[in-house]
Amino acid sequence: MRGRTLVFPLLAAAFVGAAALSLSVGPVQLSLGQVFSAITGGSAGGVSGETAARVVLTLRLPRILLGVLVGGALSSSGVAFQALLRNPLADPYILGVSGGAAVGAMTAKLLLPGDSFLPLPICAFLGAAIAASAVFLLARRRSGISRERLILMGVIIGAFLNALIMMMVALAPPGRIPGAVYWLMGDLSLGTLGRVGMLAPYVAAGVVLLFLLSRGMDLLLLGDEAAFQSGLSVERVKTAVYLTASLLAGTVVAVSGLIGFVGLIVPHGARSIVGSGHRRLLPAAFLLGGTFLIVADVLARTVGPSGELPVGAVTALAGAPFFLYLLRRNGRKP
Amino acid sequence: MRGDLLTAKALTFRYGDRDVLAGVDLRVGEGEVSVLLGPNGAGKSTLLKIFSGLLRPHVGEVTVLGRSPSSYGRREMAKILSVVGQDPPLDFPMSVEEYVMLGRFPHQGFFDAGTAEDLREVERALAMTELADLGARGLHEISAGERQRATVARAIAQGARVMLLDEPTAYLDIYHRVAFYEIITRLKETCGVSALIASHDLSLCAEYGERIFLMSGGKVKASGTPEEVLTPGNVLAAFGVAVLCDRNPATGAVRVTPQRKA
Repeated sequence: MRGRTLVFPLLAAAFVGAAALSLSVGPVQLSLGQVFSAITGGSAGGVSGETAARVVLTLRLPRILLGVLVGGALSSSGVAFQALLRNPLADPYILGVSGGAAVGAMTAKLLLPGDSFLPLPICAFLGAAIAASAVFLLARRRSGISRERLILMGVIIGAFLNALIMMMVALAPPGRIPGAVYWLMGDLSLGTLGRVGMLAPYVAAGVVLLFLLSRGMDLLLLGDEAAFQSGLSVERVKTAVYLTASLLAGTVVAVSGLIGFVGLIVPHGARSIVGSGHRRLLPAAFLLGGTFLIVADVLARTVGPSGELPVGAVTALAGAPFFLYLLRRNGRKP
Repeated sequence: MRGDLLTAKALTFRYGDRDVLAGVDLRVGEGEVSVLLGPNGAGKSTLLKIFSGLLRPHVGEVTVLGRSPSSYGRREMAKILSVVGQDPPLDFPMSVEEYVMLGRFPHQGFFDAGTAEDLREVERALAMTELADLGARGLHEISAGERQRATVARAIAQGARVMLLDEPTAYLDIYHRVAFYEIITRLKETCGVSALIASHDLSLCAEYGERIFLMSGGKVKASGTPEEVLTPGNVLAAFGVAVLCDRNPATGAVRVTPQRKA
């Protein structure tokens, strides 16, 4: 409870700081003053104002917006899957849900022409939802879903889906899915306003839906029986949470590929700041997720002397050790 | 005779091909503290789950306030009946107070959670279970006994007319066992809350219970006041243990003492 009122301003400040950093850092280094005048349309010294404006407005700003949507949506999806499965290790990537979305998105790209606005996210959503149900069903025993078994099934289904994706890449007609391999590693470099616009409605819908389900998700943490006896329509809420979490993960994958571990690291961090109540956890995780992915993207863009790393590589570099830490700590208290 | 709160008629329930309940008949009156006694596997937990609507009987009929449990909406049911069961461990950080607040769910709309009334009820429940000082503690930081009391506090905060409790004193020491039955008695006397408790505390149930149902092999073998039910013959038949049944000289309640095997 400490510092209850200060938490969200601080999270927002961290986010603004990360955004400012991301706007100024890159092959063309800009001062914060230049960034500011580029956004407000004023002029500044140094690099020509026109160049600065172009870099900021057409390259970096859309990328930041995409990063916020992707990081926020993946974190929200992680929070939702964790409540649904009562498992703090659940993450759309580890569960194989992102892999399912990628297969769905690839199918749409292969079968349908162009960067189709509607079918691509929908197919990715369906792929995500199907993969999630497959993992849940395979992991389920009469006594419930054990957390290790769930992760194991996620990994196995994920490996299978990865193989499917590789096959699709190999068999696709040349030029049909350009940049597929890079996209699969998780990529924000295709951040254009068009893509931001494509993703935004789904993320907005998903986040609002989850927020409306927040009290139900609180009760799900108690276990199905206790939630039911406390007055929750358990099956209805679980179905809604499952579909919404799949929608968020799926549509994100359709736009920016497989970015893992965000849905694992960020909810954990957010919970340690605001607790497990979902009314506060969901907004905190969204903000923190956006901040996290923007910073990861800055690292991805600047770490090498030339070219850039897929942002998925950065999140995995941080996330895999973090997962091991959580798994080892697991037998002990939360 | 007060009205029937819970009734079961010729209730049968199977897990696979095993009859867990084989023709249970039972009535719990409003404003009563009733106890289900019986050995492990006698069907006590299953019976409680059927009353709460979690399981449906294969044969027979149950009613809660005259209606089938499945005919109630979830929130409506939760306002009538709260349950203290054996919940799985919680893997997420949560304070005792937040946990007890979850019991207020049936009374809350989306925009009016955590009202003054909610806070008052949570405070009252914490005070009754002697957890007021631990409200800000994490659930994982307190002992098993304190967690069990927190579960009881959550059910109290739910503000239902009847509480179903499945071995609510399993992890409690003798002080807190007695305190638990005192709480149940107080809830009955001050708020008219009824209780149906599945328990293994024979003597304490005799002290605090008004009506006892002795179950064994999926049937109610005896029912009535503690004096009527807790006889050496009944206890031997249900538990397979020879006992001495006498009266507590201080309170006059039946006292059940196991006899060492010769």
